[in-house]
Amino acid sequence: MTLAFGKVPTAVVAAAVALTFCPIAEAQAPIRIGTSLSLTGTYAKPGTYQKEGYDVCADELNAKGGLLGRKVEFVMYDDQSMPATAVKLYEKLITEDKVDAVMGPYSSAISEAVANVTEKYKKVMVSPLAATTSIFKKGRKYIFMVISPAEVYLEGLIDMAAKRGLKTVAVIHEDTLFPKASATGTVELAKKRGLQVVLQEAYPKGNTDFSALLVKIKALNPDVLAGGTYFDDAVAITRQMKELNVNPKMFGLTVGGDLPEFYDLLKQNAEYIYGSTQWDESLPYPGQKEFVAAYQKRFKHEASYHAAAGYAGCLIYAEAAKRAGSLDADKVRDELLKLKTRTAFGDYAVDADGFQTAHKMVMLQWQDGKRVVVWPDDLAGGKPRYPTPPWSQR
Amino acid sequence: MTLAITPAMIGQVVISGLLAGALYAMVALGLGLIFGVMRVLNVAHGPLLMLGAYTTFWLFHWIGLNPYVSLLISMPLLFAVGVALQRFLVSRVVDAPELSSLLLTFGVSIALVNLAQLAFTSDLRSVEFLTGSFSLGPFAFSKSRIIACGFAVAITLAAFVFLRRTRLGKAIRAVSQSREVAQVCGIDVQRIHLLAFGVASALAAAGGSLVAVMVAIQPDMGQIYTFKSFLVIVLGGAGNYPGALVGGLLLGLVEQLSSLFLTTQVNEAVAYVLLVVVLLIRPTGILKGRV
Repeated sequence: MTLAFGKVPTAVVAAAVALTFCPIAEAQAPIRIGTSLSLTGTYAKPGTYQKEGYDVCADELNAKGGLLGRKVEFVMYDDQSMPATAVKLYEKLITEDKVDAVMGPYSSAISEAVANVTEKYKKVMVSPLAATTSIFKKGRKYIFMVISPAEVYLEGLIDMAAKRGLKTVAVIHEDTLFPKASATGTVELAKKRGLQVVLQEAYPKGNTDFSALLVKIKALNPDVLAGGTYFDDAVAITRQMKELNVNPKMFGLTVGGDLPEFYDLLKQNAEYIYGSTQWDESLPYPGQKEFVAAYQKRFKHEASYHAAAGYAGCLIYAEAAKRAGSLDADKVRDELLKLKTRTAFGDYAVDADGFQTAHKMVMLQWQDGKRVVVWPDDLAGGKPRYPTPPWSQR
Repeated sequence: MTLAITPAMIGQVVISGLLAGALYAMVALGLGLIFGVMRVLNVAHGPLLMLGAYTTFWLFHWIGLNPYVSLLISMPLLFAVGVALQRFLVSRVVDAPELSSLLLTFGVSIALVNLAQLAFTSDLRSVEFLTGSFSLGPFAFSKSRIIACGFAVAITLAAFVFLRRTRLGKAIRAVSQSREVAQVCGIDVQRIHLLAFGVASALAAAGGSLVAVMVAIQPDMGQIYTFKSFLVIVLGGAGNYPGALVGGLLLGLVEQLSSLFLTTQVNEAVAYVLLVVVLLIRPTGILKGRV
């Protein structure tokens, strides 16, 4: 990484560089983009994917001659998945390392914390993995959203249900920030489409026995069951639905249902279940194939949406800087507000708060062990299998 | 649409509550045992359960071992871990003020979770072994939960028989009642401490192996069991071993019934309110007195 000079006093090096290469060095000094990512701790996995997305972006920009004629270099630190550490690191990046630009960290919680720092120093921050609406609705000027907000995660499920003329929906969710926001959003979308919400209920984080909740749902017999889940709850709920024979016509989940592990764990019991995702490898976005290939080649594993969002967020920043012809925060900000584009990650456009308005979630359904994109129609790779057969016939 | 709660629904929820409660009772018995013998509240009890769950997972993953057979490995393994923890760490703070042992086991708990994160990563794992349920009339009995309940009842009963009937068990109870008198009677108190911690850890491991089939396995899956076990032993009467059974079944029922009649969101809160009520009207727990 960029701390290659190690312990040699920076001033000495700087003086040496200045004396020897001054004119050339100034013209070609790389653009240094600072970021902290969760490379260890709770978010280690998605945080690492995001880092790899940034790496592929830097490779691609440099292969095309850099940005504004300068090479692009990332200055990356590990925030250990802790907001307080990330805040210190962004202070350091901006005041000590004096980076030319910054990119966002992983997760809503950490983005929320560091946004205070980047706003203070008037640094534009494209934050590719922050999905919580409130971050962008606090009058901040320099933070930009890339992924879809929690509230629209199950838009596809509700849309498909409404088009089929289904009438009732039950919404359950873990009682934490993200699932709560997605459940609230789902309830609003359902009401807007004329579905009756027969139950909306939260359960505490770490809950392992959903019997009573599912007994209630079975009695209410909704057409659709929507779950604002993470992963372990998604698995536990599905298992207990089978045990208690709860079988709505459609069953969709926010997080968990989209992951390969979901099928590994549940096998055929995952069939017919809808999952929601920000991005899928199979989507026909421009530059998608090239990104997937470059990523696979460099990191030897499949790209997740975290990687794609990181990659796209970095390209979006670069595009805005290119259009502005400078790295000046206010100029780049104006361009980011105006920009409407489609990247390998999908559509990008923001409102006056930097809040994402164009990017679309997609709904997947597990069909014969494969994730098939079934919504929206223009991106779908297959038709949804409907209705869900009894548990014994899956 | 309002929900009419039928007797069949209540019956189903009571079944689920009792199934869960038996498991809570077994795990909590371990916590109660350590507390009874040493007056140490072992915050690392839940993380020990997590290690039991991982033992079952890896044995299933590597050699396809039946998760219920893996009890034969996870329990002795965690017994040994428990003995080692007692021998090298906890024994140093048994006579220290209660805060020291609380801090120590809290530290052990954090260390175990982080070591598990390093060794196993925080990926969610699961043992996909038994799914579905048996049905009997209008009621469904989850296969994995009913078997877990069966094992939990058997292991808990075995532990009671051990405590009641065997010389070592009697020695454990003697130490709980009065360490000094036990010592005077020629009981090797240090050895009893080792044994108690070992048995308690084996009980946690059994809990881990049994829940491994029901829930996703991950390094911080254990902590909630520390809290639930704490609740159970205070409800039942700390230091009173059969009290763990009463407390466990009560907690299982309260969680499920409050989830049915109120909302799932408040089921933990209701359990703690119950705890406060019990402490107010019967500070020694529901079954007080005899050890």
